[in-house]
Amino acid sequence: MTGSTTVPGGGTPAARGTRKRRGPLGAPAVLLAPFLVLFTACTLIPIGYAVYLSLFSERRSGLGFGGTTTQVFTGLGNYTRALGDAAFRDGFWNTAQYCLLYIPLMLGLSLAVALLLDSALARAKRFFQLALFLPHAVPGIIAALVWTYLYTPGISPVIDALNSAGTQVDVLGHPLPAIVNIAVWEWTGYNMVIFYAALQAIPREVLEAAVVDGAGPLRTAFGVKIPLIRASVVMVGLFTVIGSLQLFTEPVILHDVAPGVVSTWTPNMYAYSAAFERNDYGLAAASSVLLALVAAALSFVVTRFTRDRDEKRTQKRTETAR
Amino acid sequence: MSSPALHRRRALRLAAAATATVLGVTLLAACGSDGDKSASGADAGSDGKPVSITFWGWAKGTKDVVQAFNASHPNIQVTFEEIPSGNAGGYAKISNAVKAGNAPDVFNVEYPQLPDFVSQGAVQDISKLVPADLKGKYLPQSMELTTLGGATWALPLDASPQALYYRKDLFEKAGVAVPKTWDEFKDAAAKLKAADANTRIATFFPDDPSTFEAMAWQAGAKWYGTSGDSWKVDMAGADTKKVADYWQGLIADDLIRVQPSFSQQWTASLQKGETAAYLGAAWGGGVLKSTLGTDPAANGKWAVAPMPSWDGQPASGMLGGTTFAVSKDSKKAKAAVEFATWATTTPEGIQARIASGSSSAYPADPELVPVAKAAFKTDFYGGQDIYAIYQDAAKAIKPNWSWGPTMGSTNSAMKDAFGKLGQGGTVPAAVDAAQQATLAELKNRGLKVAG
Repeated sequence: MTGSTTVPGGGTPAARGTRKRRGPLGAPAVLLAPFLVLFTACTLIPIGYAVYLSLFSERRSGLGFGGTTTQVFTGLGNYTRALGDAAFRDGFWNTAQYCLLYIPLMLGLSLAVALLLDSALARAKRFFQLALFLPHAVPGIIAALVWTYLYTPGISPVIDALNSAGTQVDVLGHPLPAIVNIAVWEWTGYNMVIFYAALQAIPREVLEAAVVDGAGPLRTAFGVKIPLIRASVVMVGLFTVIGSLQLFTEPVILHDVAPGVVSTWTPNMYAYSAAFERNDYGLAAASSVLLALVAAALSFVVTRFTRDRDEKRTQKRTETAR
Repeated sequence: MSSPALHRRRALRLAAAATATVLGVTLLAACGSDGDKSASGADAGSDGKPVSITFWGWAKGTKDVVQAFNASHPNIQVTFEEIPSGNAGGYAKISNAVKAGNAPDVFNVEYPQLPDFVSQGAVQDISKLVPADLKGKYLPQSMELTTLGGATWALPLDASPQALYYRKDLFEKAGVAVPKTWDEFKDAAAKLKAADANTRIATFFPDDPSTFEAMAWQAGAKWYGTSGDSWKVDMAGADTKKVADYWQGLIADDLIRVQPSFSQQWTASLQKGETAAYLGAAWGGGVLKSTLGTDPAANGKWAVAPMPSWDGQPASGMLGGTTFAVSKDSKKAKAAVEFATWATTTPEGIQARIASGSSSAYPADPELVPVAKAAFKTDFYGGQDIYAIYQDAAKAIKPNWSWGPTMGSTNSAMKDAFGKLGQGGTVPAAVDAAQQATLAELKNRGLKVAG
């Protein structure tokens, strides 16, 4: 650093001058351009196009054969049609039930496993981390296919074994637990890794202090560790909620073997079926936009809620520090 | 289309919120872009260069047909791509490709879905390319189904009369004669179940309404009709109700299996002899043979019989059945029709398909039935002359049935309602749901509905 006149954190007056002369659009524009181009091409334009599509319906003439097909502006007609369709609303209801069952189960399990791995008692930590994470390395479609195989009576060794033991199990007749099970299997390990990383980042002196104060392992876990990784838990919760809203792969695969998983079982499947089975692109676009709005609203609520809590906590901490 | 899996790996909370908003939307928009069809201009190799056309289909034996065609037609070369069967996603793929402007020149579509494709504007009118003598070659019932609004839209490959496939040994063991009427069928179902509690006579397919539709057709129902410019939809008539109640009864009494069509469950259950029969159509003979024939022990155990009927007289509907249609934007319609004509009306075309071993299509051109019969290896059916059964059934196909322009919606609604069988749903309720969905969709498309 010899011979330098630069003031740390400042920059020479000359350097500042140059930056000003380039104007405010220089470097930021160059750096942001790739993002903005992609964002426009892959996000804004498709959204705009979907919204546009959602405002139109196709109308045919005569018996519908070889006559003219016209695009008619129907305003919010497609939206009212989607909302008025019991199948679409059932999709949200199914998703809600799925969330109620899946989120607490998966969060609880991954948190419990992460705490166990983090505790002093755990042996062969690396092995268990890897083993628990492995299911996540299996692509969702493959996982759904494997589970479908395990669920199907007549070909599943598990179901056959249960049947020969006298227990009649009809997994395919109960799609909700069947799908929740696949999701839990896929995501528990992944989220466990996030929680475990967060647990490892807790300052050791805090834990030592807890031990000195006489807290046992359970007390430490619930009174110290979980509160300290609250941010991670909330983040995982948010991602899980959004991911759940977009539930598609698993039910679609199960749809083939379990007719109880109807073609409109989730809102995403409803949009798919409207577009590709019923060729109603207006309705499909409208239902997708509605789903997106719900996802946006939920994300907003969760982020807002947690930010407020976080701010309060930070405030409290600063106050205590004073 | 992105999956939640990809999505959730994003670490940034904001990005997550933003992308979530977008995902559902891009799913659609990605499918809408209007590509430019690589229109290489003029038709057929008048300049000496071979015309190459693209073809999508899934009918058994198609690959062999295309190979034989290419070998004998230096002026037209067909590139074949096998796609999933229509019900399993093939139709979605085709109509999506047509929208996107990258559809193949020619594709397979079954009779029930043809009006829907025509109504979508996905298929071109080939009336001018189909002379009267060519039309005269096909079975009238088949030609009726490919002529809509006075124009010809597709060439039929097969008529698909219904047939009953059954395990001779299981029927004998239970002392059951082959049922001729639906009443006898019910008795046979009960006897088979009594002989072995794990055995059911056949399968009701909740995922594929086409079997049920063929049953309604066989019973004399007419779901779709027109009067002037208006559609008439009648799924609630007495004939359909009789059929719906009958199948509901079998399901309620646990006399029939409810399993998805051609699923692993279905196959496993046939292999184990837990299901003794299959209610199919002519083309099902090849499917059954290629599904089960890999096991030498299964060979010779199966036989074909006419479908039971309500009054004991021969009667049949059509279950599926494939046609060749030319896509809307194809500039090579002439070559496409030439290929389709060859595949459906020449001995070479039919011979190549049946000789593949997996197809037992019943040609829509009745003159070619002997060709198909000669080419089909019938060991799996113990040497039985299965084409004789198909031939009688084809003669008994009830005339004047037509399919409607909204079969996509009709079938979706019926499938979803069939999915609730065993959880409070019934067959009659499913028929009702399909009727409502059909009427709603016709109105939504701006078509007039009478009555």
